[in-house]
Amino acid sequence: MMVDVAFQPNRVGGAARKRQSLRVALKRKSTAAFLMTLPLILLIGILVVYPAFYSLHLATLNKSMQRFVGLGNFQFLFKRDTFWLVVEQSCIFAITAVLFKALIGFVVAHFIHNIPAKGQRKWRGMLLVPWVIPPAMSTLAWLWLFDPSYSAFNYTLSLLGIGPIPWTGDADWARFSVILVNVWYGAPFFMIMYLASLKSVPDQLYEAAAIDGANWWQRIWYVTLPMMRNIIAITTLFSLIVTFANFDIVRILTTGGPLDHTHIFATYAFRIGIEGSDIPLGASISLFMVPILAIAAVFILRDINKRGNEA
Amino acid sequence: MASTAVIDKAAPTRVVKYGSMSRDRKWALRWSYFFLGVFAMFSLVPPLYMFITSLKGSAEISAATNPWWVFHPTAANYVGLLTSNQFLRFFWNSAMVSIFVVTITMLISVPAAFALARMRFWGSATLATGVFLTYLVPDTLLFLPLFKMFAAFGDWTGIQLINRWYVLLIVYPTLTVPFCTWIMIGYFASIPKELDEAAIIDGASWFQTLTRIFIPVAMPGLIAATIFAFTVSWAQFLYPLVFTTSTDQLVLPVGIITTLIKGDVFNWGQIMTGALLGAAPPLIIYAFLMDYYIAGLTAGATKG
Amino acid sequence: MSRKLSRRQFVAATALSSAALITAPYVRGAHAAGKLTMGFWDHWVPGANKASTDLVNEWAAKEKVEVSIDYIPSQGNKNLLTIAAEAQAKSGHDILAMPTWWPHANSELMEPVNDIMEPLIKQNGEVNGTVQYLGQLDGKWLGVPSCVGSQIKGPCSRIDLMKKLANIDVQEMYPVGAPPKADNWTMDTFLKAAEACHKGGFPFGIGLGETTDNVDTAGAIFQSFGAQLVDAKGNLTVKTDAVRQALDFYKKLIAFLPADASAWDDASNNRWLVSGRGAMIMNPPSAWAVARRDAPQVAEQCWTHGFPSGPKGRFAPFLPYFWTTWNFSKNKEAAKSLLVYLSQSAAVEKMVTASGGYDLPSFQKQTTFKVWAEEGPPKGTLFHYPDPYKHQTLSIAASPAPPKVAQQIYARATLTKMCLRHYQGESMEKDAGLGGRRVRRLYAELSVRSSCSCRAERDRCNAHPPPIRFVGSRRAVGFPTGD
Repeated sequence: MMVDVAFQPNRVGGAARKRQSLRVALKRKSTAAFLMTLPLILLIGILVVYPAFYSLHLATLNKSMQRFVGLGNFQFLFKRDTFWLVVEQSCIFAITAVLFKALIGFVVAHFIHNIPAKGQRKWRGMLLVPWVIPPAMSTLAWLWLFDPSYSAFNYTLSLLGIGPIPWTGDADWARFSVILVNVWYGAPFFMIMYLASLKSVPDQLYEAAAIDGANWWQRIWYVTLPMMRNIIAITTLFSLIVTFANFDIVRILTTGGPLDHTHIFATYAFRIGIEGSDIPLGASISLFMVPILAIAAVFILRDINKRGNEA
Repeated sequence: MASTAVIDKAAPTRVVKYGSMSRDRKWALRWSYFFLGVFAMFSLVPPLYMFITSLKGSAEISAATNPWWVFHPTAANYVGLLTSNQFLRFFWNSAMVSIFVVTITMLISVPAAFALARMRFWGSATLATGVFLTYLVPDTLLFLPLFKMFAAFGDWTGIQLINRWYVLLIVYPTLTVPFCTWIMIGYFASIPKELDEAAIIDGASWFQTLTRIFIPVAMPGLIAATIFAFTVSWAQFLYPLVFTTSTDQLVLPVGIITTLIKGDVFNWGQIMTGALLGAAPPLIIYAFLMDYYIAGLTAGATKG
Repeated sequence: MSRKLSRRQFVAATALSSAALITAPYVRGAHAAGKLTMGFWDHWVPGANKASTDLVNEWAAKEKVEVSIDYIPSQGNKNLLTIAAEAQAKSGHDILAMPTWWPHANSELMEPVNDIMEPLIKQNGEVNGTVQYLGQLDGKWLGVPSCVGSQIKGPCSRIDLMKKLANIDVQEMYPVGAPPKADNWTMDTFLKAAEACHKGGFPFGIGLGETTDNVDTAGAIFQSFGAQLVDAKGNLTVKTDAVRQALDFYKKLIAFLPADASAWDDASNNRWLVSGRGAMIMNPPSAWAVARRDAPQVAEQCWTHGFPSGPKGRFAPFLPYFWTTWNFSKNKEAAKSLLVYLSQSAAVEKMVTASGGYDLPSFQKQTTFKVWAEEGPPKGTLFHYPDPYKHQTLSIAASPAPPKVAQQIYARATLTKMCLRHYQGESMEKDAGLGGRRVRRLYAELSVRSSCSCRAERDRCNAHPPPIRFVGSRRAVGFPTGD
């Protein structure tokens, strides 16, 4: 689409004219830029940054919130076995879930990309359903599917002669169930992002690779993945952050699980902070991962930016 | 597509074995369909189960008969919910909130993304990176200070925010704007600079460049961001749970869970019905917008 | 923001004010007018909310007060979120229904209601032990016990299965209209019955998860052995024989419970009963009511009765709700007037009847309404639900520890976790030690965090003596600095 031009500026002035108009443009640019980003800055500043600092302040208070204890809450947490169990479980949960989501999303996106364009629409639709159903409700469906007395899965397995599986009753099965539901819910998001990215990889590259005699695996490794690096990095990072902060799934399925074996940060913070009426301690738990994730995020994002600037 | 490209006359001539190529292709297709079928089954089993359960009366659910089949199907759950004013109210609230939030999100993130992608000003690089970090602070932590802020605001100005559905219009954008901004930055950055340089030389203001060039070209990205924002707002649970209490202010997820699960009594049939009805609007919207999205992509918008 | 009082000033202030409150009875003046907002517990019984709404509207019409009621569900812990948020924001409903531990947790923000509780107690009889424990702080009443939502989580048994498999006639043990004949209903009989029903394929449905149903059962059993993790004075009493006995009992019991009991939440035992798979659960009548709707053949065989007795007495878990008023409320007069109105026996009976007998008043004279005798089928199934003959001591898990500590024990499900660990084979010493160490550290942190508000530099407060003594161990008295 071409821009409608109101009038043709006089280009006879040459270099001097251009310099002057550039300066004017620059001046306009910074105010325009500032105005355009102002709503974003205000939104994040007032509704995220300020409450975040307030939460940080909360995390430094004692239980009755009358006294400043600095890092006392964190010291208390570090001495507790349950806390380290929660840290370990959160990491296992987030990393495993994101890994599987990315893998499944990538594989499925590839398959959809391969089939003729006409049929893609209905497969896309079917595979997107898990992400579209509000997770609070689809997790309830999973809860019902895993229920100790009424599990539909156990019913089916019993027809095959396999004994009832304690989906949420045994620590290892509970962890498996929670990761399963998270992967089920999150994989379509990866799929759709990767699919869009796949479609933007130019076919010429594939042809060139085919001509050079590459098989399918080499095509993926040398053509697809490099072109998709940015999208892969962004979605993985985003999903990692969001999965670490996951609350609904674990809360509804196991509320922390048999003997705290499926507690992750958000659910444990809720248990301690809200159910135990110790809000500063709950805030400390929630904030624990923030510095670590922030550092990881900064590294990955800088990497993306660098590559973006090179391109 | 790949098979026709081989006949490209520009390519160096060599012997092409059509037979083996098409056989490979057929097998690849079969495997594709097979695996897609497996994944589709994996994706669809829970919603299917939800549908089956929604057709059962509560007596049949408690009786623990075959859970995969309905012996006495009843539409009572659907009729009950669709004629319940409360449920329709939830639906309406959800729809209002989601539509407004999507609009607000787009209004905030598109100009911001344009400014961050194209205009280099002091702090733009940090902001572009930093906007992503807003997701690091979980909402399970933010709701307390936010509640306090809104209560103070209500006392100070007399505009009651707590327990009103429109408070969600203020908090939801914190969840949708960062990622949408990021998507838009990515799309805008991939638009060649020649386009906007030409526009500037032709005298267009930044605003005109944005609306006349960038938005149409980055339409798939816009639609992707819209889809994302809509899905997130529709499915939100924690913020509405905290900020809205009266039943006429609730949105759908919270409404279903708090009115259909009381104490320790679950009404599974109705819950599943409500969940399916609640998932219908996003599904329908996806069905429509997805085509535009993909059509926009394949029309070469993001190709060089 | 928050006034920073030192502990001494606070105690002095409350002592003075509570003395004043006790001596000055509440006089309803002409000040009860204006607006009043309230947040009540959202009842699961259809129609029960309406009874409360009607009563409130009646009162509002008489007093010419503009009311607005929100029914706040406990599902998703919405009520706890609301309490936390309103406490933080110092703004919210005038009257709020708070469960169990929350009046104590927010004690600094509660408006004392001695002026209405004293006359109510005189009028309606004494309140039970749980309410006294949870509703009072240093003589100050933090809230009025609400009948709505208060419940006893006692046994609900299948008459036919208990007769057939365990040879126990629950209807004879707890007959309608007569005192219970339950001298033989002891922990040993209970254990034998559990074994018999397990062998017969219909195990007892007692969960070992971390939600309140499970913790309450453990609490009652522990108390019947006299086992306390922390006693009333704040001493740690984990390594005692009573705790050992309780853990051993549980070890034997767990063998007869469903395999996945450790994952049960509050609704699992309901489903266990309604599906017909269990011979007994520990639950208020919500399970029976659902069975009445969905599985009548099961409901006809349900009987709610008392808890088995242990060496130190017969204890049953009582879960009270309190109607409380924030001290930042703008219409305390009206709030108190309404609470008095709602605690009159006529009003209470209306609400209890609307709930089908599920709601339990805490005042002694209000435990004999006819609704409990008449609910059925089978008729009389709820007669012994409100414990009309004072046959058991009502308590709550982790009491009589100081409530702020007990809340932590309760919320973290320390009791059920200890039982599970003990069952899974950790040695007695290690297990009690682990629980002990955890409780010790927990208590150390809490006692400094909650009670001491002086501005000592480190967490060790030199002005106040260390509160912990370890009973049953040879450790010297001292401040545990983390071990």
